[in-house]
Amino acid sequence: MDVGTALIAQSHRVDLSPTTAIVWALWLLVGFAGIFPGIVAYMVWLERKVAARFQDRIGPNRVGPFGLLQPIADAIKLIVKESIVPRPADGLVHLLAPVIVLASAFLTLAVVPFAVGLVPIDPPSGLVYLIAVSSLSPLGIFLAGWSSRNKYSLIGAMRAVAQLVSYEIPQVLATIPVVLWAGSLSLVSIFDHQAKFGWNAFTPPGLLAFAIFLIAGVAEVNRTPFDIPEAESEIIAGYHTEYSGMRFGLFFLAEYLGVFAISCVATVLFLGGGMPLPFSSFPVNLIDGSVGSYILADAILLAVFLAKVLLFIFAMFWVRATLPRMRIDRLMNFAWKYLVPLCVLNILFAAAWFEVVVRPGRIEAGRWAVGMIGVGLLTAAGVQLVFWANRKLAAAAPIDADWPAVGAARGG
Amino acid sequence: MVAHNYVFVGLLLLVAVGFALAPLALVALVAPRKRSPTKADVFECGVRTHGETWVRFRIQYYIYAIMFVVFDVETVFLYPWAAAYGSLGTFALVEMTVFLALLFAGLAYAWAKGVLRWA
Amino acid sequence: MARSLFLAIAALGLLAALGTVLARNLVRAALHLVAFFFCVACLFVMLEAEFLAAVQVLIYIGAVAILLMFGIMLTRNAATAEADLSGGWRVPGVIAGLCVFAALAFGINNAVSPSGSGAWSAIVARPALEPAEGVAWKAERSRAIDDMPRVVGEQFMTRYALAFELAGLLLTAALVGAVALAREEPAPGDSEPATAVEAEAAVGTTP
Repeated sequence: MDVGTALIAQSHRVDLSPTTAIVWALWLLVGFAGIFPGIVAYMVWLERKVAARFQDRIGPNRVGPFGLLQPIADAIKLIVKESIVPRPADGLVHLLAPVIVLASAFLTLAVVPFAVGLVPIDPPSGLVYLIAVSSLSPLGIFLAGWSSRNKYSLIGAMRAVAQLVSYEIPQVLATIPVVLWAGSLSLVSIFDHQAKFGWNAFTPPGLLAFAIFLIAGVAEVNRTPFDIPEAESEIIAGYHTEYSGMRFGLFFLAEYLGVFAISCVATVLFLGGGMPLPFSSFPVNLIDGSVGSYILADAILLAVFLAKVLLFIFAMFWVRATLPRMRIDRLMNFAWKYLVPLCVLNILFAAAWFEVVVRPGRIEAGRWAVGMIGVGLLTAAGVQLVFWANRKLAAAAPIDADWPAVGAARGG
Repeated sequence: MVAHNYVFVGLLLLVAVGFALAPLALVALVAPRKRSPTKADVFECGVRTHGETWVRFRIQYYIYAIMFVVFDVETVFLYPWAAAYGSLGTFALVEMTVFLALLFAGLAYAWAKGVLRWA
Repeated sequence: MARSLFLAIAALGLLAALGTVLARNLVRAALHLVAFFFCVACLFVMLEAEFLAAVQVLIYIGAVAILLMFGIMLTRNAATAEADLSGGWRVPGVIAGLCVFAALAFGINNAVSPSGSGAWSAIVARPALEPAEGVAWKAERSRAIDDMPRVVGEQFMTRYALAFELAGLLLTAALVGAVALAREEPAPGDSEPATAVEAEAAVGTTP
């Protein structure tokens, strides 16, 4: 195991050598400008197919076999459509908004370790970088709604930003336990830690953090049941009402790129990246320094990584096909009254888990069992406490406290 | 150097902006362009727009934004603490518990005053 | 190379700052401010303080800019919110700006760099990163750059423990203050519309 983990832990320092230039050029031109948008295009195809199956339809099947050329047809359609900008709009900001949102989605992928050595960059503060660039998208969304000079756009944007900032807090706080155990903000170190101690999702505080991260992640990419910002039945299409043709296409691309990015990040942080087994550093310990062993291990890691990402993506499609939209007051309540207190408690549980299991430096069966039972009970008690307190407080408040208009309508 | 990592980030930013603007440039070449006053109107369900768009919003949004800033700053303190926790003793845990309790008191105050209620 | 990059970023930052002051539209002014924050983050990266750079983007662009935008949407006439450059507050504004500038210039000028010389007076060559034998602080510096978050955390918990708790207190005070100021005292009969129609109307006018 030591060989493998030593190989993962590469230096954070980068030299601007010709080799680096070639690797970076490959990442930028093949990865970011080619493969990732391609994955996104076929995610859209997959979503249409999956949603169709859920609704007892066939889905796209006209363009190419199984409708596989549908994304290309869609792209052509978007390009040859007229791009309409409303007269009173702030033209420059209207153009800037989708660019910001798309850039934010692209930048998040720069620190994701797909396999050993297969990471664009690994700065020491990778996770803060990731959170920082993903927090750019609310700004772009606000600008989109504001610059359109459309009431529905503006309302949609304000709602979207309120929702995004509310769910960003639990999402960020849920990553603290992971950082605490790995002792580093670098995503490669976090992967490394899980090679030694098992996947983070297989610890009680890690499981709770994982659940919170997923919920908040779905809210961060504005998907059902958190799609208030683009609630078609109330506010047309929210912040992108006034976007047509390719400009709308950019928002669309950014949304699916966001889904892909959040799935990748969840995989790396909680599901041990590309490792197929929870408590074994299996493909990583194959690496003995030879090129062949690297290729073999990376092929396994990459395949498993993509399978896990696909699982997340499918789960998001499934949720979208199943659940209706949440009401906005409940949505905000859930973030601030349930998720944030849970996250804060979870940090303390994570510290307890660190003391019991991680502190000795390697996983020991006895301490692990003690941790699973002790910290597990603690975490369960914490979840119970937050839900109990919320029920108690909600029961004490009048029945229509959270929706005065309804109460007034009934009482009046 | 560590900072050289961010050369890649800069390049990626350029690629992302280029990736966004290139299809828009293509659109400007290929797509039809027929302007009409009705088409350039804002779309509000087909009804002519009435009154001012950039209206005054409720204070509620601002409160959520303030809470967001406060908790965001908190996470900035939490990240280095979490990264350094392994090499620190119990004192660090106590200190962070106090810090979290302070923040939580703020949240509880907002909760008790009812500003967390979206109406 | 590094110097010309620095000059370019600094020039962009100054332009963005000018844009903030001169923009007529408040949202556009805030957008220029965002550009300025971004330039500051770039400067942090150039100083090898990448953790600070990420924090700068996270807090200032991700959070404070949103707060500013929401603040602008709170103003009474956000639509016609054009900065009034000829009002009665022009002279006091200029005086206040000059005072801040003087204070900053005085502070920076009197700061002493590690080499003992004044901040402006000498350009100190950046020491090599590789830890040399017998030079303890070079190893320390190398670690601080390679593992900045951890070093910052250790400093928070030891040397700056009190400041850290005070920061927590300040954050709580900010939150409590904002809540206390912004909360609308529900006057009887005022907040709750009597009929469903009024409720609808109220919901309609206050999005």
